Amino acid sequence: MQARINWAFAEICDSAQTMNEVQEAFMREIRALGFSYSACASHVDPLRPPAEAVMMVDYPRAWLERFSTKNYARRDPVFKAARQQTLPFQWSDRNFRGPLAADQLRILDEAASLGLGDGFTIPLHAPDALPASCSLVFGPDGVDPLNARNAHWYAVYAHECARRLRMASIPARPRLSPRERQCIELMGQGKDDGAMAIILGLSEHTVHNIVRRAMNRYGVGSRMQAFVRALKDGQIRLEDVA
Amino acid sequence: MIHIITAENRRHYHHALMEMHRQRKEVFIDQMKWRLEESAGIEIDAYDCPEAIYLIEASTPRAPVTGSARLLQTDRPHLLADHFRFLCDDQPPTGPDVWEATRFCPAPDTAQGQPRHDLLARIIAGIMETALIFGIERVTFVANAALAPLAAKAGWDAQPLGPARRVGRDRLTAFVASIDQQGLKRVRQRNGIKTPVTRFLGDDVTQAA
Repeated sequence: MQARINWAFAEICDSAQTMNEVQEAFMREIRALGFSYSACASHVDPLRPPAEAVMMVDYPRAWLERFSTKNYARRDPVFKAARQQTLPFQWSDRNFRGPLAADQLRILDEAASLGLGDGFTIPLHAPDALPASCSLVFGPDGVDPLNARNAHWYAVYAHECARRLRMASIPARPRLSPRERQCIELMGQGKDDGAMAIILGLSEHTVHNIVRRAMNRYGVGSRMQAFVRALKDGQIRLEDVA
Repeated sequence: MIHIITAENRRHYHHALMEMHRQRKEVFIDQMKWRLEESAGIEIDAYDCPEAIYLIEASTPRAPVTGSARLLQTDRPHLLADHFRFLCDDQPPTGPDVWEATRFCPAPDTAQGQPRHDLLARIIAGIMETALIFGIERVTFVANAALAPLAAKAGWDAQPLGPARRVGRDRLTAFVASIDQQGLKRVRQRNGIKTPVTRFLGDDVTQAA
């Protein structure tokens, strides 16, 4: 990525107090580059986003409503490809369209009929963030390819600032103690209380209590839920258990 | 019709330029497996800049692109000096009146054989017409084993800058071509080109052109 860095934009993002401020600055720059619409957002239902979702979207309302009603977040081929790669991709690219199923191509056609036909998507991956991407739609006069290259930097910078603001705005998540984390991790590797007790040199009773405490911290009633929450929080890492 | 695209008129050509970069990705990265920089889902590298001159063949600025090439100034960073110096026996020619032609890219659906050879001939004629407009006296380029003989006998005065060398699975040769009216005439005659192939829109024309 040979982007030209816009320090004034970085300054605005860094000092922003709300996601709206970031969005405003982002949309202004993106339009100036020649794009007609943009969606720099988490892969969620755009009309019912969870609190931690990044949502900087100026897509036509009609499309957002259809996307939400039809629950396209689960089938959208753009979301799917963005989860599986880090390189940006154009929607006209044969590598992208080739393997798609008929219903996925239909989603792209419907989007195109509402003015979201030609553009590209920048996958955005960050630890402990919801899967996200930035889709940019070429305006009627097209986009200078040199500007398209620059857009990547804007998308990454804006998403990162918006994500930090989102995370700061939601209540602090429970933190597991080192012992609790250890037990949840072993649980994830398939160990039962007996095995954990031997590995950790503790009694089975103690191990059982440690797992209980972890469940209580999350306010969940099953070991499976506690494991999933710890994984989602990033307190344990997928690569350590699978 | 080959459109000459410069810093001054490129704003009329966003569609054609984007299509050129998409085709470069499909041809060079997807098909030929060259390891090139990719940004925004297209092949666009450090040498792509407003100062480059692009030659894009399309019947109108919004029509499908059938082929393209890029011309770079040699008094700025360019490929022959940065990557292919080993193909030259002596210092590669540089200077304000020497430009480098790179990224000759037939549209992905161009048939092999004659259609490709004809496109190359038109692009060479386009490079020469462009050179004559801009006062470019010599054009350097690197050609692989398939293109080198075609480029050498196109009718212009193209001389190798050194022996062909094996690079990966291909053999590359660096050339310099001197540009003049007689050479352009020969290229046109040899390749059945009857009229000028290029079109250069100034800054004051709009999409209607």
